[in-house]
Amino acid sequence: MRIGQRQRFDQARPFVVLGLALAAWLVAPAAVKSLSRASFFEMTAPVAAAASYARDLQGFWALRLHSKDELIEAGRDMARLDASYSIAVQQNGELKAQVERLQDLLRMPPSEHYRFEHARVVQRDFSAWWQRMVIRKGSDHGIPVGAPVVFGGGVVGRVAEVHAYTSVVELISDPGLRIAAVIDGDTRPMSYQGAENPAFGEARGVIEFVPLDVYSGSNAPKRLATSGLGGVYPAGLTIGRIVHVEPSQDGLFKTGEVELDPRLAELKEVTVLVPSNPG
Amino acid sequence: MRGAAVLFLTLYLLRAMLSEANSALSGAHIWLFSGGLFVAYAALMLPFRQGIAVSALGGLLCDSLAPVAFGTHAALFSVAHVVVFNVRERLQRDETAVRVAVALILNLALYLALSFARNRLVPSGATVWPRLLWDLGWSEAAVALVAPWFFALQARSLELARANPARGA
Repeated sequence: MRIGQRQRFDQARPFVVLGLALAAWLVAPAAVKSLSRASFFEMTAPVAAAASYARDLQGFWALRLHSKDELIEAGRDMARLDASYSIAVQQNGELKAQVERLQDLLRMPPSEHYRFEHARVVQRDFSAWWQRMVIRKGSDHGIPVGAPVVFGGGVVGRVAEVHAYTSVVELISDPGLRIAAVIDGDTRPMSYQGAENPAFGEARGVIEFVPLDVYSGSNAPKRLATSGLGGVYPAGLTIGRIVHVEPSQDGLFKTGEVELDPRLAELKEVTVLVPSNPG
Repeated sequence: MRGAAVLFLTLYLLRAMLSEANSALSGAHIWLFSGGLFVAYAALMLPFRQGIAVSALGGLLCDSLAPVAFGTHAALFSVAHVVVFNVRERLQRDETAVRVAVALILNLALYLALSFARNRLVPSGATVWPRLLWDLGWSEAAVALVAPWFFALQARSLELARANPARGA
């Protein structure tokens, strides 16, 4: 009888140990869990960063294989681009000064100023539940949590976690991310949210609270941009193109589908907009 | 605990390789999950204390990058570990084919459990299932492909560290 009881206890012992461990974890202070998460993340970061540096080196040696003629050609093209950008920078400076004069005249609050922090993409993690990427700059470079992240095609997302020399960026295709948006040429705000990301398909988002007089389709898609409301993203940054709108169930507004830039899934470098006057 | 430390290092390597693979597949919107590989060998071959420590630490590695409550993967991996540990004497656990089959079943069970746990993160929960099933199919294929090599790596690492469980038994 005793042997039978002991055998039963031996069989149940793993479950008892598991139950005790889970109970201990549940009552562990949040600070312990937070510290453990950060420690485990920092433990994996060196490998991810090393792989990223190795890819950069690979790219460097691949470029070294190009002929001198190709390099001369690329240099000439760059010089032309540089010239056009120099003119654009001058015009931009003039326009900025004009905006500041007008703001001063109308006693408007000064607009947010940002420092551009360029960062290489280390890793992308695009599951059905979340869309995130790790970039190779963190608190060592002054990146704050919540900073907007952009690229040449518009908004990438926002910084969700900051570690010592890496940060995690939540993409605009993430189903959990919401942004206040406007249609190009319209000032009425609406809500944008990331949506499903089908396998072998393009990332999409959804818009809600679209005014009833807005029409947009795949033949003539309208550009969706950030509204500047909410204080995270500056106004006018491209989110995507509205390819479909239809009346919502309540009939008061419309809902729609937004096509995101396909380059979001292949980004190698992004820019973090670090507020110059945070707080 | 040398055996546990060695196996944790192999899981660290697996996590790094998986992250690189997912990064490379992001353009096609495919995401691989290999939870079964984090648990199978430790649950089948190691003594209970060492094995569950390895599975839980492997879970915490997965938790560090995922935006879920810290400990979700660790808890599920630990439960899976205990279940497999309790039935392992009835299995031909020295056979690679059996280990691969256990890894595949565990992967399926853990993926489905995590899907139900994470589905609250997605506003339109039902529409996400086709994508989840695609990912599950690819993940199972990847686990079947990688598992024999990974188990051999784990066994060889334990031998090199002179922490082979068969030696101690």
